[in-house]
Amino acid sequence: MLSPRLYILNVAKDPTEANRISKESAKQIQDKELKLLDLVQSLGEYLTDDDKTTRAKAIGYLSSVLGYLDPKALSRQQVAVIAQFLCDRLEDETGLRETSQGLFALQKSSRFGREEATLVSSAICKVDLQKHPQGTRFAVLTLIDSLMANRRDVLKAMGGKFVTGFTELVGGEKDPRNLMIVFSLVKVILVEFDIVPHIEILFDAVYCYFPITFKPPPDDPYGITAQDLKLRLRECIASTKYFAGHTFPQLIEKLDSTSLSVKKDVLQTITACALSYGPQTISTHSTQLWDAVKFEVLNSTEEDELATEALLAIRAIAETLSFGLKFSAPTASPLARYLSGIVKECLKLLQEPQQKQAKPAGNILSKSATASTVAHLFIVEKTMPALLLIHGDADSLAKQRALMEILNMLFQSSLQTFGAWGDSTSEQVHSNPFTEYIDKLFEMYSQALMGSLREEVSLRITALKGLVLLCTTRRLFQENEIGMVVQYFDQVLLEVEEKEEIKELALQGLKDISKIKPNLIMDITFPAFMAQLPDSEKEADPSKPYTATLEALAKLSSGRAVFQVLLTRLLNKLDIVLREKSGPMYPRAILSTLLYVLQKQPESNQEDIKAYFARLVVPLLTKTIIPMVDNTSEFEDFRIMANDSILDVTGRLFNIIIRSLEFEEQINVSRQLINIFVLGIPSEYIPRTHAEIVARDFKPLQQTANKEQSGCTILLTYALAGLRREVVLAALSTPELIQQNVELATRTARSTQRMAHLYLIALLANKWMKKPGDSELLQKITADLLESVSSSILASREYDNLVGQKLQTVLWITKAIVVRGDKYGTEVTEKVVTLLGDKNYGPIASKGFVVLLGDDEFITKSNYAIIRPLTKQKIFTFCVPKIVEGFRTADSTTKPNYLVALSNILRNMPPAVILPELGRLLPLLLQSLDLPDPNVKSATIETLLITVTESADAMKEHISSLSARLLNACTNREENPPRIRSAALRCLKVFPRALRTDLLLPYKRQVIRSLVTALDDPKRNVRKEAVDCRARWYSLDEPED
Amino acid sequence: MDGKNANPTILNASDLPTRRQAQQKKVTSPLTCGLVPAYAQDPFVGNNVEFSDPDESQDDSVVEPIDEQEIYDLIATISDPEHPLTLGELAVVQLQHIRVTDDPSEIISNVLVELTPTINHCSLATVIGLGVRVRLEQALPPRFRLDVRIREGTHATGQQVNKQLNDKERVASALENETLMGVVGKMLETCK
Repeated sequence: MLSPRLYILNVAKDPTEANRISKESAKQIQDKELKLLDLVQSLGEYLTDDDKTTRAKAIGYLSSVLGYLDPKALSRQQVAVIAQFLCDRLEDETGLRETSQGLFALQKSSRFGREEATLVSSAICKVDLQKHPQGTRFAVLTLIDSLMANRRDVLKAMGGKFVTGFTELVGGEKDPRNLMIVFSLVKVILVEFDIVPHIEILFDAVYCYFPITFKPPPDDPYGITAQDLKLRLRECIASTKYFAGHTFPQLIEKLDSTSLSVKKDVLQTITACALSYGPQTISTHSTQLWDAVKFEVLNSTEEDELATEALLAIRAIAETLSFGLKFSAPTASPLARYLSGIVKECLKLLQEPQQKQAKPAGNILSKSATASTVAHLFIVEKTMPALLLIHGDADSLAKQRALMEILNMLFQSSLQTFGAWGDSTSEQVHSNPFTEYIDKLFEMYSQALMGSLREEVSLRITALKGLVLLCTTRRLFQENEIGMVVQYFDQVLLEVEEKEEIKELALQGLKDISKIKPNLIMDITFPAFMAQLPDSEKEADPSKPYTATLEALAKLSSGRAVFQVLLTRLLNKLDIVLREKSGPMYPRAILSTLLYVLQKQPESNQEDIKAYFARLVVPLLTKTIIPMVDNTSEFEDFRIMANDSILDVTGRLFNIIIRSLEFEEQINVSRQLINIFVLGIPSEYIPRTHAEIVARDFKPLQQTANKEQSGCTILLTYALAGLRREVVLAALSTPELIQQNVELATRTARSTQRMAHLYLIALLANKWMKKPGDSELLQKITADLLESVSSSILASREYDNLVGQKLQTVLWITKAIVVRGDKYGTEVTEKVVTLLGDKNYGPIASKGFVVLLGDDEFITKSNYAIIRPLTKQKIFTFCVPKIVEGFRTADSTTKPNYLVALSNILRNMPPAVILPELGRLLPLLLQSLDLPDPNVKSATIETLLITVTESADAMKEHISSLSARLLNACTNREENPPRIRSAALRCLKVFPRALRTDLLLPYKRQVIRSLVTALDDPKRNVRKEAVDCRARWYSLDEPED
Repeated sequence: MDGKNANPTILNASDLPTRRQAQQKKVTSPLTCGLVPAYAQDPFVGNNVEFSDPDESQDDSVVEPIDEQEIYDLIATISDPEHPLTLGELAVVQLQHIRVTDDPSEIISNVLVELTPTINHCSLATVIGLGVRVRLEQALPPRFRLDVRIREGTHATGQQVNKQLNDKERVASALENETLMGVVGKMLETCK
């Protein structure tokens, strides 16, 4: 029996060992090797020790052992003895914490009964808790919390004795963690105990904490926030209606506080109380509360947090008062009395709807009108006649509009109360109170939208918004009325003179209506819009541009059924337009419309997109190719399909549709396309009448191909981009195909043509280097190209355009392999950096970094390209030191190459990557500002903008030189186009907020003075930036002496 | 009455005349953008397209003079010292009460701004006038001579206020009054 001593010795310095000891003892007790009572007795000598801590540790030992015992290990009698023993120990204050822990462990025992619970509860309430440290108080509260959870009946049976005892026990508690427990215990007492005789003391015990002003310390281990405490305290205050007489006067008084957060807390607490005290209690306080709370709304402006909270409080009162009222609010009912007061006051303020307090009054009405259906009926009924009168008497459109804004708020509340069409709410008991006014409202709103001058934009917008609300509210408008509204919106959309702002809203309105009544859009809007489309560009009426119509159609057609209709109609239209010998514009716009809808499809609709392969890809392909090989007049009109700008859209359609196909489908697609474009083998995609002739005469990748045929390469590029890389390009050697395209790319002068080949090369090099030896062959191709560059340099000849083209091709290949982490790519990159020092090819190398790091739409993840993470960062860390070094040693003719390269790198790099390197780069960036190239300057200024905001420290030493250069850039109009001047001003504007004031003050006067020149800039945008920039520098505070 | 108007009439912010929104609202439709295919942009060729656009705002030979609308846009967003509303919304500043004479052949150009207080005994008319003055002094090139005054017949002591507003020495001494400048600074914070 050495255990107590061992435990006492160890517990402070080695808690693990101490735990092991008590665990061991617990095991011995359970194995009957040790008697619990013997253990208690063995504590005797320590419990009388003069050293307080020894006494506490001894109890701690017992508590710890109890904690390790099985709940069933102790007998009824043992529990009783230990309970009595521990309760007696409560008198020795030194061990309160350990004793409480012991009791906590003991009450978990299955044989801990009523008597023990009563004993413990009474004993614990007698403790003078507040003189103990918070950890001890926590142990005691945890014990009570546990008794409350497991033995609530006992505590209730103790009645007032417990209630008062507990209140006294916790009085003065300040620790947040303990308060969280106290609040939740008090809430149980308030809700479940007989508290009527103790209201005063309970209220005082709770309310003394209001408002919570606690700020958690920075290293708070418990993570309790002020909000946690507020919420729990609020639950206490709101939990019993018996508090009402105390709560409301006190809260109303606190509403005078100047602290925003206190006021917010007060309002939220009023709301919580209003919702829980019940109608009877609330009815006696409702007027008093309204009088107090309304000012928070009426004196507010928009987006005022307090106003929002106050509105919720006003609504909460109405909600509670609505309780039990099913059909209407009788005049004498508390709800009617409450709302009548509100209505009266608000209507008074609405007499002048343009005044400041009118909108808040409208807010109060509409918010209260969402409290319940009965409240809604009451408010609409009592306000509508007066509101219509005000509208009728309004002497100006602005006043009418202001009133309609108020009506719109009420419509909104109606929508909220009755739901939208198609909402699956239960059967409606009440009819909408607006039903009575439908004719009047429909007329008023139609008149405002369609009958007033086009310039009255804000009035018409108000009307439009109101109509959308009325249309969407369930069972308010009839189908024919909604149909009329759809027609109005159609007219607004089709009218070229209408402002963009109102058109956008009309379109949105149609979209909203299409969700609830799709048939109306299909039956009314579609035919109306299709009828607007001319049959040819020549017929197009400039006052009714087909682009606007197509755009509206595109935006309305996101649903599948609607798009099916659109697809059929537009493809028919395309044929008609082509037959009318169209230019490229109109056909392109039609195809773009389809593309737009497909691009906007959510990820989940990939299945749908697939289905369009047969309806779009194959017909467009034949429409494009056949006219090139068949000169008969039948196909002549279709030749325009080979126009570059149309091919672009056709190609994108191919890409987006092919992407969504399954693997097996893609295999067939790839085979057919390679047959058509590369191998010259008849394909099943081409109608039998032309399959042979296409195979024979369509050779887009031959040197001899004419412009139209070779232009079609882009279709192949777009299509291959959409294929998975696992799809094998059968019967092809990728390196050979690359070589073939390299030659085509370097020889053409047309940039559309060249880019089609270059992207094709990049796709092949990224996705289809699969066969053994492919990579080596690609390296050979690249090396050969580079070789021509070096030999041109060695021979120190003049700049040779063909060699330049070859270098460009190298960069595209490099990009394709660098992004998939190919080591050879890094080697080539290094060569490119070296080339920056060459006077002939350096400029190309410097622009090459746009290719290497820039984003393009072909090599992307969605096109199944292999893209390793962090490749951009790798190129950055690889190149930048070399560029910095190269710049240092370069001569003045090639120095700009390094700066351009750097600006191209920075432009394409996330700021987080740049920032650590900034110290090293800033000197170069400053020199870039001296280059005449506006692109470099603009990129540099953009980088600096980020730098100043995100890494102000690095900037510190350069403020002087940087501000001088920026001032030059914004005032020297000879060298800097307006765009650069604006950018420089924007950059300079950031300084005052980003950098320390004392660093900037030395420059304040000079900056403000120099900017005077920019204030007189010929360009308005520049002047605007100058004004803003100057205002920031003016606001730099001089230090106080 | 203590010279405050607790419930003034407010103009709808979107109804105020401004040039700014018109500039922002220049959206290009996906269907109407140019005929140059996107893929054809060769990073190696010439300047980026953005620099060759025929945007008039980038052409320095087209001079955009400082006009009434520009002055209005500068001062309409100043906040009223007692309401969290702008001078434009309260119609204290109105476009038709601004006059600019900017003749390039003259050395001095003129700006006249007439203010309309919300009530005719508004106690803060002088402060508002001072705020407008400070804003314009900071935002206009020095060749402009400013005349900020209360519109005739809109204020009980308009004459007196005007004297204060256009007396150089009194303005200068007002600018040294810290509390006053604190108020003016607050008013100008909302300037856009």
